[in-house]
Amino acid sequence: MHDFLFAMFVSELEDAVGRENCSTHPIDKLTHSVDYFWLSRMWTDSGCRMPEADVVVSPKDAQEVSKILKIANYYKMPVTTWGGGGGTQGGPLPVCGGIVLDTKRMNRIWQINTESMYIECGTGAIYKHIENAANEKGYATMHYPSSLNCSTVGGFLAHRGIGVVSTKYGKIDDMVLQMEVVLPNGDIIETSPAPKHAAGPDLNQIFIGSEGTLGVMTKAQMRIYVQPETRRFRAFLFKNMSDAFKAGKEILQKFKPSVMRLYDEAETGSIIKKIIGVSKSGAFMNIALEGVADIVAVEERILLETFKHFGAEDLGSEYGEKWWKEKITFFYPGHALDLPWMFGTMDTIAPFDKIEKIYWAMKEAVETNFPMARFIAHFSHWYEWGAMIYDRFIVEEPPQDPLEALRLHNQIWNCGVRAALANGGVVNDHHGVGIKLGRLMKEQYGPAMQVFEVLKRGLDTNNIMNPLKLGF
Amino acid sequence: MHLSQKNRETVDACRYCWMCRHICPLGNATGQERNTARARALGLSMVLRETETLENVIGNVYECSLCGACTKECLTGWNPVAMMLEVRCQAALEGVLPDNIRKLLNNIGKTGSIYAAQTLAPQLVKEIESLPPSADTLLFLGQHALYKNPNGAIAAIRLLKKAGVNFTVHKDEPDSGFALHFLAGAAEETRKAMQNCAKRLNDFKTVIAYEPDDAKLFLREYKEWNIAHTAEVKTWTTFLADLLDSGTLKPKKSDKTYTFQDPAALARDLDETQAARKILSACGVIREVLLHGKDTVLAGHAVMTEYLPETMTLVAENRWNDAVNTDADVLITASSAEYAALKNTQPKTIELLSLEEVLLRCCST
Repeated sequence: MHDFLFAMFVSELEDAVGRENCSTHPIDKLTHSVDYFWLSRMWTDSGCRMPEADVVVSPKDAQEVSKILKIANYYKMPVTTWGGGGGTQGGPLPVCGGIVLDTKRMNRIWQINTESMYIECGTGAIYKHIENAANEKGYATMHYPSSLNCSTVGGFLAHRGIGVVSTKYGKIDDMVLQMEVVLPNGDIIETSPAPKHAAGPDLNQIFIGSEGTLGVMTKAQMRIYVQPETRRFRAFLFKNMSDAFKAGKEILQKFKPSVMRLYDEAETGSIIKKIIGVSKSGAFMNIALEGVADIVAVEERILLETFKHFGAEDLGSEYGEKWWKEKITFFYPGHALDLPWMFGTMDTIAPFDKIEKIYWAMKEAVETNFPMARFIAHFSHWYEWGAMIYDRFIVEEPPQDPLEALRLHNQIWNCGVRAALANGGVVNDHHGVGIKLGRLMKEQYGPAMQVFEVLKRGLDTNNIMNPLKLGF
Repeated sequence: MHLSQKNRETVDACRYCWMCRHICPLGNATGQERNTARARALGLSMVLRETETLENVIGNVYECSLCGACTKECLTGWNPVAMMLEVRCQAALEGVLPDNIRKLLNNIGKTGSIYAAQTLAPQLVKEIESLPPSADTLLFLGQHALYKNPNGAIAAIRLLKKAGVNFTVHKDEPDSGFALHFLAGAAEETRKAMQNCAKRLNDFKTVIAYEPDDAKLFLREYKEWNIAHTAEVKTWTTFLADLLDSGTLKPKKSDKTYTFQDPAALARDLDETQAARKILSACGVIREVLLHGKDTVLAGHAVMTEYLPETMTLVAENRWNDAVNTDADVLITASSAEYAALKNTQPKTIELLSLEEVLLRCCST
């Protein structure tokens, strides 16, 4: 774009959001060019520059978002929505330049509705802040991912996030009542006033997980819960993962624990040993039960009986309590996986009859084809019908050359995710797709992808919304 | 840019870590991604890797209030505040300071005050002149109070008089070095200002540091810089709490409800959170604000108001929201640096008072 035209474009954006909320300063473009995606970090550390936005705007509400999108359509400029930037899939990276629309000024808590048990807030609110607001009134959001402190409500919704007590309380997509969304053409809409209905398809679920490709979520009603009377932990060691799966499945037919985390032998012998201090070999499983104390006491008795039947060694409550205390520590510098290592989390999900097979298939595919890679996994979100795998590869000495590193990174991802897909898994469970996995979406969905593509073409006629993400 | 090994490690640790985002008072107020320890570290890491210039990132370094919330929050012990201070010093040495910061440093050079103020409020001058020329105890008011909160300084003097304390105030109070330290870190000029001030403190047996920023310098930074002073330094809040303990001040409990804004320098740097609460609970009922004590959230800062006035307004408004949510009658502050920002943004539904103002009210009824 010619300098003159660009100046005209920016002046229109300034008119929409105020000059102080519209920036072309290098620091703003730089800080929105790198997220938690390994490739963006590696690329930057290698002395390269990631693609940057031409301008960063921070609207305060849906009306300002609407103005921005109308301007972007007029100038045919890409718009990439940015929440906290803590995602791992490169979803908010402005790979085609244009506008970065940072949502964090839309952080108002509009109401804490204790009658219907939700908080209505701007999607730019940091989730920890709505947790604080809920806690002040004696409630809790029950959405506790490791990125609770740094990610926004909209960010979690955009990629279908999940927290550590999901087995009892559900994923982020289970926690939304109603949303306000700005469509790509600037129209402001509201989804159905109740999340369960028979008035056609669920509008919420069209935009949740759409990663900024179908519009901008600007307001959401997020569920809150009564604080549990008690939360009790119990850790177990299984001889092998098969026994643990059977035990886990059986317990879920009886009741739902809040925390349910099974670690494979490799992760039990590495991270669990280092952080939690379990030195025995086997498959470590941590369970939390919570709610009304009397009910929890009954659940605990059933848990012990059931797991004993599958040969689990009861490790008591200490390890689980320690894990709860340290659950965020894992993600601070010094504990989290970091450069110069190459690593990635290929989380996938499947019904019980496929999940163990997928685990072994992914492990074999990665370890056989990439002997330099370690493969570790845990299973941390469970349903009555199945579970997800949080499987990670780690390469301690990746290529120094950034192009070679990028190539190897993508080869490992292709290999692992294709192994999951071939055995009944999905591209991703809760980190989303972004630019990292977009190429694999068509492989999962096949002709079903056209449903998404028609929606995309119909809503985003100029294809300006977060281009090259989610396989679009 | 030269950085110590420790701060280079901090840059690398923080550059891709957002775990303290939720407690940054600047980031929470502005909603700008650059107002995170991560953004600052990322920019600096690119300067160190020579893919970005210090000129392009230094403005963002000065958007940090050095309140220490990120350092307190870091479970693995990284210290972004130390990183910011060293970068500010380096920027001064390399001559790449932003214009607005250079102007403030020039103010100090020309007038001895960051606020470029040559004269004090007449009423404050009168109060100071009413004190004896010498005494065992010095009330060190500090630049923030002298130039930005003279009413607080006047109330402090009147309260000590009421308590019968034999004290004085410098008629030409030296600069503690706080502003220089804040803007230029460990520069030689900072050391000289601190040494000069330390000499003047040595004329007294006891020094009451009215402003927590100055108390932090006297009790912590001077020691770290090996700048000796012989006076016993007490924070204003501790001194007042001692007056209550000894029965010198006997406030009458009112039916007012108070919420206390812990100054970061007191709560986090000096580990002092109870003295003010002891005083307030003698005067009324305390309703704690969200994130208090060591978890306190900055409510503004007079120095930053000089170069980021709109941002400080947003920071203060954010904290007012928290205070209003307590349903308390009065927000109490123990820092003139915060008082000035809070006063400018005060909502109609809640009163703002300094600790000494509350005590004066309760001791006179």
